[in-house]
Amino acid sequence: MQDEESLVRRAQQRDEEAFTRLYEAYFDKIYRYVALKIGNKTEAEDMTQQVFLNALQSISSFRWKGIPFSAWLFRIAHNQVVDYFRKQTKQATAPLDESLVSSDSNPQLIAEHKLDIEQLVSATKRLTEAQREVIGLRFAGELSVARVAKVMGKSQGAVKALQHSAIVALRKALLMAKDNEKD
Amino acid sequence: MKKTKEFNNILDECLELLLVKGEALEQCLRSYPEQAAELEPLLQTALATKQALAIQPRPEFIARARYQFRSALQEVKPKRKLFFLGWQPRWATAMAIALVLLLAGGGTVAAAGNSMPDNPLYPVKLATEKVRLTLTRSNMGKAELYAKLADKRVAEIIYMANKGEPEQVERAAQRLNTYLTRVASLALAEREGERALLAPPPAQVPPPEEIPAPLPPAKGRDKGVYAQANARARLRMTLGRYAINHPAALRAALEKAPESAKPALLKAIGISKAGYEKALEALD
Repeated sequence: MQDEESLVRRAQQRDEEAFTRLYEAYFDKIYRYVALKIGNKTEAEDMTQQVFLNALQSISSFRWKGIPFSAWLFRIAHNQVVDYFRKQTKQATAPLDESLVSSDSNPQLIAEHKLDIEQLVSATKRLTEAQREVIGLRFAGELSVARVAKVMGKSQGAVKALQHSAIVALRKALLMAKDNEKD
Repeated sequence: MKKTKEFNNILDECLELLLVKGEALEQCLRSYPEQAAELEPLLQTALATKQALAIQPRPEFIARARYQFRSALQEVKPKRKLFFLGWQPRWATAMAIALVLLLAGGGTVAAAGNSMPDNPLYPVKLATEKVRLTLTRSNMGKAELYAKLADKRVAEIIYMANKGEPEQVERAAQRLNTYLTRVASLALAEREGERALLAPPPAQVPPPEEIPAPLPPAKGRDKGVYAQANARARLRMTLGRYAINHPAALRAALEKAPESAKPALLKAIGISKAGYEKALEALD
């Protein structure tokens, strides 16, 4: 978003249109990030909304000090996910909700996508926390390496290395799951 | 070490090309033949991951969330009050609004733009909207503006229903009804105008006695037609979205609204459903 900085400044002045544009630009990305991390659709929806309500409450404290707005927003989302897991520690992870709906309207493709996202969520559980975070931010949040680096407080080189190891680990986990299905 | 770093950079570059710019996997592999064997499985996994993540929240949730968010936005807004609007007779209030619009200028008008029907600045908001409508000259422009205002009225209906104010809900619903009816009539008027513009000349025209004035150049005429068609397509998209989102958001509000507001809210749902159907029909 080219004029993101001006949008954020307007949003800080409680400009409804500016905040709505930021909301529309990031809503799906935050939702995918949260859904991938927690694997539960209903919770992901409510948590996504909470991320924006939190952002609304604290946007006046946001400062452009080398941290882009997207990085700030994803940090809120990350903290929300951490809180969620803290509360869930004693419970088993809920299976991926059936209604994680693909944007595709073809029923066969929906079934395939649903399978894919289930596999994906369960495969990411085999990754390290940092690898999972990179996959979430890079693929669900669609952030550039530079922005992922800002969110995670790492160098771009470190993020690229993590990205590499994460994809390798993900591939292994997906292949392993496929082999288990065959047995 | 250096080799790994180099590979990480290549992988990232390919991911950008593949996932952001939408280039083909083969193209990446051709650019890096030495690394192709190692790159290919990783890029395939990345593509599959991206595809699996093409998920979206349910439309009814999106609609509900949007309105909840908008209501939250209203609540955090700094409240400014015009102390004199509370007790003045109607004509004085109207005069005051006119004065506010003329003299107080941008700040108050901007603050009023987000006010709700229970806010003292709400009449300023309605007055500003009227001015905008008056200043918009084209039919499609007016129709688009009415659609945007309909969106605001729906947010107000939900807000007032949550507060248990059935009268305000009804008033906002009546306004919604008026706007959607106007969208339909403006769309119909525009369609008639377009037909006239596109209609071929009559087959047999008596020979003119004088040399007729030249027709506007075809290019210019086409341009006008395309612009109208674009505006109509844009309006259809907006209305199509609202036709799903607005009734869904109102239905979601119905679940949480106090009993006293439910009959008015049900009426508003009926108005929005019928209104959008009629408006979309007029556009087709």
